[in-house]
Amino acid sequence: MSAPLPLVGILGERSSLAIALVIGLAFGTALERAGLGSARKLAGQFYLTDFAVLKVMFSAIITAMLGLFWLGRLGVLDLAQVYVPETFLVPQLAGGVIFGAGFVLAGLCPGTSCVAAASGRIDGAMTMLGMFAGVLATGAWFGPIAGFAQRTALGVRRLPDVVHVSYGTTIFAVVAAALGAFYIAERIERRARHEVGT
Amino acid sequence: MSRPAQPYADPYFAGVGLGLVLLGAFVLVGRGLGASGAFASAASEVATVVAPAQAAKSPYFARYLADGVPPWRDWLVVELLGVAIGGGVSAWLAGRMRRTVERGPRLSGRTRLAFAFAGGGTMGLGAVLARGCTSGQALTGGALLSLGSWVFICAAFAAAYAVAPLLRRLWT
Amino acid sequence: MNAERRRLAWVAVVLAALAPLAESPFAAGRARVDVAQLARQVEGEEDHVTALELAEWIKARRPDLRILDLRPPAQYDSLHIPGAERVPLDSLAALHLRGRETVVLYSEAGAHAAQGWVFLRALGHSHVVFLRGGIYEWIDQVLNPTLAIDATPVERVRYARASALSRYFGGTPVTGVPRVEQAKSVVQLRRRGC
Repeated sequence: MSAPLPLVGILGERSSLAIALVIGLAFGTALERAGLGSARKLAGQFYLTDFAVLKVMFSAIITAMLGLFWLGRLGVLDLAQVYVPETFLVPQLAGGVIFGAGFVLAGLCPGTSCVAAASGRIDGAMTMLGMFAGVLATGAWFGPIAGFAQRTALGVRRLPDVVHVSYGTTIFAVVAAALGAFYIAERIERRARHEVGT
Repeated sequence: MSRPAQPYADPYFAGVGLGLVLLGAFVLVGRGLGASGAFASAASEVATVVAPAQAAKSPYFARYLADGVPPWRDWLVVELLGVAIGGGVSAWLAGRMRRTVERGPRLSGRTRLAFAFAGGGTMGLGAVLARGCTSGQALTGGALLSLGSWVFICAAFAAAYAVAPLLRRLWT
Repeated sequence: MNAERRRLAWVAVVLAALAPLAESPFAAGRARVDVAQLARQVEGEEDHVTALELAEWIKARRPDLRILDLRPPAQYDSLHIPGAERVPLDSLAALHLRGRETVVLYSEAGAHAAQGWVFLRALGHSHVVFLRGGIYEWIDQVLNPTLAIDATPVERVRYARASALSRYFGGTPVTGVPRVEQAKSVVQLRRRGC
C-alpha cells in the first residue's frame, strides 16, 4: 500500500494554493528573522564577515534532507511522489556561475529580495524589478540559448546514484560536510570579530 | 518606525525552521519551494499581453503558457506573495521595517539601485538557465540530493566568491 | 558554542549517523517478495486474466479498473486496449495506487507484464493481474476471434461469447477458418517481443 503522504489527489486547487500561501508566510518569516532580508548582511558572506547565508541555507537543507529520509524510511512519506527537479548539468553550472555573480551585484536573491522589499528596502524592490526584466528578456530572446539550455539533460539524477553509494551514506556525508563548514565559519567569524575589536 | 529593533534569530535555528517549512511543503503537496519560477510565470503572462506574437515564438514562455494556469493561480506566485507578507509582518513586529536603500558605505543610493537592478537581471538569466534559484534549486534540489542542484550551489558560491573582491566598492 | 546549538548538532549527527545503517527511504527499495505466496497464486492461476475476461470487465464498466500498458509509446499509439494508460516498467514503483483499484497489466507478449505483476505484488498491491499473452492475446481473442470449420460445442460457446464482445470493441470475428490457418496466425503474432 502506498504511504499516506504526500496528499496526492486529495487536495483541490484551492487547498493547494492555501498551503502555498501558508508555506510562503513561514518561509518569509524565517528568512526575515534570520536577517536575510538585509543585503549588507547577505553580502557579508562573500567578504567573510557574516556567514548567515551559509548557516541558514545549509541548516535548512540538512533538516529537510534528514526529514525526507526518515519519513520515507518509516513509510510515512512516499518519496517517489515527491517532484525532483531534473538535472541539466552544463546549463545549471553556467546558470549557477551567472547567478552567483548577480547575487554579489544585488546582495539579494529572488526570495530574499521579496522579504527586503516588504520590509521597506527600495533596493529589494529594484532587485525584484531587475529579476523580472532579466527573466522577461531571457525568455523573449530565448532562441539563441535554447539549444544550450537543453544540453546534458540527465533527467532525475541524485548524488547517491552518481557516486554509487547508498542514499543514507550520502546523507551522512552531506551532514558531516555541513557541520564542518559551520565549524570553519564560526572560527572565521570569531577571528573577524577580534580583528575589528568588537 | 517607532518599534525598537530586535536582534536577529539564531541562524541555525532559523535555518532548521526553514528546513521544516520546506519539509512541510514536500509532505503536503509533494513539491519544494521556489522563487524564480514565480517571476517566469509573471513574465510569460506579461509577454503574452504586451507582445503576443513574440511570446508565442518563445519555447521558454510556451511552457508556462501551455498549462493554462494564470499567475494568480500559480503555486509559486502565491507562495512568493506569502513570502512577502510573512517577511513584511515579521519585519514590522521586530521593528526592522524601514523605508530605505540598503547599501555599502561608499555607495550612493542611486548607484546602489542601479546595481540592484543589474544584479537582479543577471540572476534572472542565471535562474532561467539553471531552472531555479537559491530557493528552488539550492534549498529544494539540495535537500532532494539532485545532482544539478548541488552543481548549481557550488557554482553559485564559487562565482560569488570570485566576483566579490572585484566589487568591494559596493559593500565595504 | 551554546548549549542549544550543541543539542541541535547532536540531533543532526545521530540522525545522520543512523542513515547509512537504515534501509532505503524509497518504498521500491524496501519491497519484499514472499516467493511462496506468489508461487501459490501463479499455480492457482490467480495472477492473470484472459483477454475475454478483461473485455467483459471493460464492457461492464467495472469500477476502479486500471489497465496499464507497459509497451513503448509508438506501439501504444498504434493500438492499445481501450481505457489503458501507458506506463513504463521503471515507473511502476512511482505509481500511486489506491487500495481498491484492480490493476491489469499487459505488454506485447506478456513477459514484462508478468514481471510488473511481481513488482507490484512485492510493493504490497494485492489486486493486480496481467494478460499472459499480452496485446496479442487481445488481438487474437477479442479483435479477431475465429471459429474453426470443425469446431467442438465448447469452442462454439466460447466463440459466441467472444464474437459478441468483439463486435462491441470493433473487431472482426470470422467463422469457417481451417484449423491449420488458425494455428498459424497465432504463431505469427507470438514471434516478436516481450
